[in-house]
Amino acid sequence: MGYGDYQCMDANGIREDGRKADEMRAVEIECGVIPVADGSAYIKWGKNEAIAAVYGPMEAHPRKIQRQDRAILDVRYNMAPFSTTDRIRPGFNRRSREISKVTKDALESVVDLELYPRSKIRVEIEIICAEAGTRCCGITAASVALADAGIPMSDMVVSVAAGKCNGVVLMDLNKPEDNYGEADLPMGILPMTDELVFLQMDGDLSMEEFKLCWDYNVKAAHDVHAIMVDALQRRYGGDV
Amino acid sequence: MATPIIPSLLRENLAALAADDARLDGRSQFDGRDLEIEVDCLANAEGSCRVRMGDTIVLAGVKFQIMTPYPDRPTQGGLMTSAEVRPVCGPNWEPGPPSPESIELGRVVDRGIRESGCINTEELCILPGEKAWQVILDLFAISDDGNLFDAFALAAIAALRTATVPAERFDVGEDYKLEVKGAPIMCSYHKVGGRFVYDATHREELGGDERIHITLGNEGHVHSLQKGLRGIFTAAEFDEIMDAAQSRCAELRAIVAEQEASL
Repeated sequence: MGYGDYQCMDANGIREDGRKADEMRAVEIECGVIPVADGSAYIKWGKNEAIAAVYGPMEAHPRKIQRQDRAILDVRYNMAPFSTTDRIRPGFNRRSREISKVTKDALESVVDLELYPRSKIRVEIEIICAEAGTRCCGITAASVALADAGIPMSDMVVSVAAGKCNGVVLMDLNKPEDNYGEADLPMGILPMTDELVFLQMDGDLSMEEFKLCWDYNVKAAHDVHAIMVDALQRRYGGDV
Repeated sequence: MATPIIPSLLRENLAALAADDARLDGRSQFDGRDLEIEVDCLANAEGSCRVRMGDTIVLAGVKFQIMTPYPDRPTQGGLMTSAEVRPVCGPNWEPGPPSPESIELGRVVDRGIRESGCINTEELCILPGEKAWQVILDLFAISDDGNLFDAFALAAIAALRTATVPAERFDVGEDYKLEVKGAPIMCSYHKVGGRFVYDATHREELGGDERIHITLGNEGHVHSLQKGLRGIFTAAEFDEIMDAAQSRCAELRAIVAEQEASL
């Protein structure tokens, strides 16, 4: 199938996987899935599956990476070799390094790092099965894992993405929509205030389309936040 | 892997327990932990398995690539095994290029499967001298509470035995099941408190000495052995664990067969 041949919607405005334009894929979250970790979370987002583990706070070494006034987050995003149709060679590549960095920048914006001078907190994100949108999956899972580890945060980051395919603005692009689509706008939203800590975009969007993507994302973030809170409540009970 | 400081208290505690024929978690010498196996659990892998032994959790995924056969073996495909023990699975595993520990893990699992002959590389040939299948087995640790070896080996054989060759995607015919004859099974024994125990936890590994890995095939034949870490063992000790391995491997083989039948 060549570029431009893909039809993302049928005549009734229903996408290949049965969703409407503004509908997200199904999201399930479970925390405490890695028994040996200080905090962990598993997320299934459509066919995406990711796990996140948090270790620490622990001593940061070598000493040159220490910050005297605060902790650092050591974030790694990685795709397992069997997570995609074509096997991925193990090891970091430029894409995974960049995603690790923007994830770190997003999470460092909410974690109360000043509580732990000279320390590091390890955040490990592993994509087990990929179907477009894995960075959003990873950031969201990492937020839940940090909460599961009891790390103080001002809010949990919820990451979602809207985009465009065949000229239609769509919430939460799946694999073919992402491959053949025209734009993708992933955002990291703090649901208590609707502030942002993560933003990327590539493609082509008019200002109207951009605003619609933005609105879709903010609404979806609140839906996903409820699922994150539910996962934590199932493990710990009480109100969040 | 960072080596944590091992308190002599832990070693003394393990030795005292061993003297009473006891273990930290109440198991007897050759008891395994609770075991869960789930095959076909990864949507993008052609064969997959998740194994949980106590708090140790691993995944195995099988992928296929088309390779050019080696000039001296023009009618044979290949098997490649790689073990990734990424820092997600425990506080002591560090990022970076594969550690000697993870390379040993991958190679020992690979030898058991390869030497048992369960995969006939001749059958992986598509066009002699030009095209053959390369079977790639990726082992991935999610939670390391000890004995990654057995968990990896069990996940590996269950994933291979349920794998489908994706011939349609590569335009070389119709998809078919990968043929795997028999099921080589690994059993590992760690010297803890002066005696060998089966299926050691992370704490037992920390406070223990050498380890021995035994892979046995369907007829009880030995296909791979490996002694790891610092320590000395006697022939009598080896005979004892070999006997234990013979019966445990048969039990595990039956569990794998049960999983396949449920597919």
